[in-house]
Amino acid sequence: MPHLVGGRAAARGVITLAHGNGGRYMRELIRDIFAKHFGSDSSVDAAALPRFAGEAVFTTDGFIVDPLEFPGGDIGTLAVHGTVNDLAVSGATPRFLAITCLIEEGFEIARLERIAKSLGRAARDCGVAIVAGDTKVLPRGQGGGLYLSVAGIGTKNPGAPPGFASIRPGDVILVNGTLGDHGTAILLARHEFGLDGDLISDCASVAPFTSTAEAFAGLRFMRDPTRGGMASVANEISLGVECRVTLEETALPLHEQVRSICDILGYDPLYLACEGRVVAVIASGQAAGLLGAWRALPGGERAAIVGQVEAGRARVVLRTALGGERILDELEDDPLPRIC
Amino acid sequence: MTEAAVWLDRIRSLPLPARVRILNVCGGHERSIAHAGLRDVLPPEITLIPGPGCPVCVCPEGDILAAIRLSQDSGNILVAFGDMLRVPANVRKGELRSLAEARRAGADVRAIATPLEAAKIARNNPAKNVIFFAAGFETTAAPVAAMLAEGIPDNLFLLLSLRRTWPAVAMLLDSEEAGFEGLIAPGHVASVMGAEEWRFVVSRHNMPLAVAGFTPASLLAALHGVLVQILNNLPKLENAYPAFVRPEGNLRAQSCMAEQFAGFDADWRGIGTIPNSGFRLRPHLAAHDVAKEFAEIIAGTAGRGEKMPPGCDCARVVMGRISPTECRLYGKACTPRTPIGPCMVSDEGACRIWWAAGQRHAA
Repeated sequence: MPHLVGGRAAARGVITLAHGNGGRYMRELIRDIFAKHFGSDSSVDAAALPRFAGEAVFTTDGFIVDPLEFPGGDIGTLAVHGTVNDLAVSGATPRFLAITCLIEEGFEIARLERIAKSLGRAARDCGVAIVAGDTKVLPRGQGGGLYLSVAGIGTKNPGAPPGFASIRPGDVILVNGTLGDHGTAILLARHEFGLDGDLISDCASVAPFTSTAEAFAGLRFMRDPTRGGMASVANEISLGVECRVTLEETALPLHEQVRSICDILGYDPLYLACEGRVVAVIASGQAAGLLGAWRALPGGERAAIVGQVEAGRARVVLRTALGGERILDELEDDPLPRIC
Repeated sequence: MTEAAVWLDRIRSLPLPARVRILNVCGGHERSIAHAGLRDVLPPEITLIPGPGCPVCVCPEGDILAAIRLSQDSGNILVAFGDMLRVPANVRKGELRSLAEARRAGADVRAIATPLEAAKIARNNPAKNVIFFAAGFETTAAPVAAMLAEGIPDNLFLLLSLRRTWPAVAMLLDSEEAGFEGLIAPGHVASVMGAEEWRFVVSRHNMPLAVAGFTPASLLAALHGVLVQILNNLPKLENAYPAFVRPEGNLRAQSCMAEQFAGFDADWRGIGTIPNSGFRLRPHLAAHDVAKEFAEIIAGTAGRGEKMPPGCDCARVVMGRISPTECRLYGKACTPRTPIGPCMVSDEGACRIWWAAGQRHAA
């Protein structure tokens, strides 16, 4: 297919290679979409940041999602929340983001603006400033519409959890809400299975939950169960601490639709991604306190104590509703729907 | 008390014989059994045997080789269900042994989740031949037939490796020693083909059976039904999945399948030919049939010894003759990371399911 040429295609409202060539189209795109919705200064090549008191925490993450817009969010909100959450679970207050947009030639400009707008709003809601960015246009066929690459800087909080080394047998594992909502909402949004539902992604900032947790001196560790889901975080804990981790099937909070869709398609919700959840490990004496504090937060109604760390060989064991046991292993390949 | 716990209690209170073996024939059932940890909580007299429930596992090597060969033409896009990409064939050193290897070597091989995606990819790539390598049981055959009935693009071709479930069970029951006393029939297959399709198990072989769904409660209800039939020596066809399975099944889907497919005596990898166990395209679809349109390219792949890899016991695992952990490769040479047999590849395969549920050594 021939590449789209600047003027005519731009007039049709789609991204052209000219939008990435450093010239007029690119300047206008940055001015009219990114600077406008991100509130950033497009006149500088690099951002000067204020001096921090204490440690700075730095992270980066790439975002690819199909479809780009889904119930409960889009790739823009996902990029903001994903980066903010990586900082938050590390015990930092998210402060600054830098965003690179990799756009495929032919991408509709109105759609780009819609995503930029919701990205900007998500950043403002999280109290982070978008201070730097870049735009690249990929020739048609060489990209999936829109990819985002985000770097984030936060400042370390005094109550930041000490991490794996502090975890002891007897410690308790909590999660702040239902599991697998994002992964399932994305499955539904792809409309591949003829299934419908009103399930929405849990895509959100977990900062209110992490900062609440940091008030507890017995907090050991926090992690957001994104790719690989709850089971993968449990495996990380088990391998990191070299302890057995036991999860209670009956205690795991699952949305009824997630349960039934996973039943139909043969997915295990414990391996599906969440984008607004945090898993915390805390001293057993403070678990009830943290549970109460989380449940009092908006969106924390279904927070639950889901398991504990136990002495024993490093493995994750799910105690099933019937009293059986199942090992939750690390993922090997991507989960697939059943064909039988 | 949950419904499942109630059924478990009822099973525990049955006066069971010293040994009772129940076969299931659906990877989904086996997965639910492993996920719920049913083997841990059932009385030790009961042995649950995973049977021929994995379509990927029995897909003939010839079909895999044909798919790999077809993927080598840059004018072709090869699409298949994800599991199929990882299944290895026996080849000489240096040759491509799976579709995943072909993809790494540059072939355009794509994993899909539903048949409709194949048609979509064909429509989006009108200048290419899109070859849909469709492996599955009746539950896959039905949506493939529905896609064909809707009309497909000229550039979409099918390499069918579709199988019927019941002929494999019939073959087991016809053999000298079935190796089990009761059968859990597959709920999804029965929802398409009807519970009545399984009546032969009772009428011809006098064996107890029940159709089950996929929750622990439904599986335990079906198991309870089968055990009671065994204890009373009154075999019958029971339906423990009535919300989805009707006696006659989904007649529309069946007539659609009958319009698009004809039955034939099909090869099952490692097992052999089972009469009337496969679906192939009817003549009106010849222009979309890989066997017709690409006959020269795939010549010599079919019937090339439908063997499992050397040392691999997948065939006996598939037929429920041994449990996964009884294969001497299980967990040693053969793991999900380095699978040798197809049962360790597919999410429907008994070895893969047992491994994923943490079974690391002989039971």
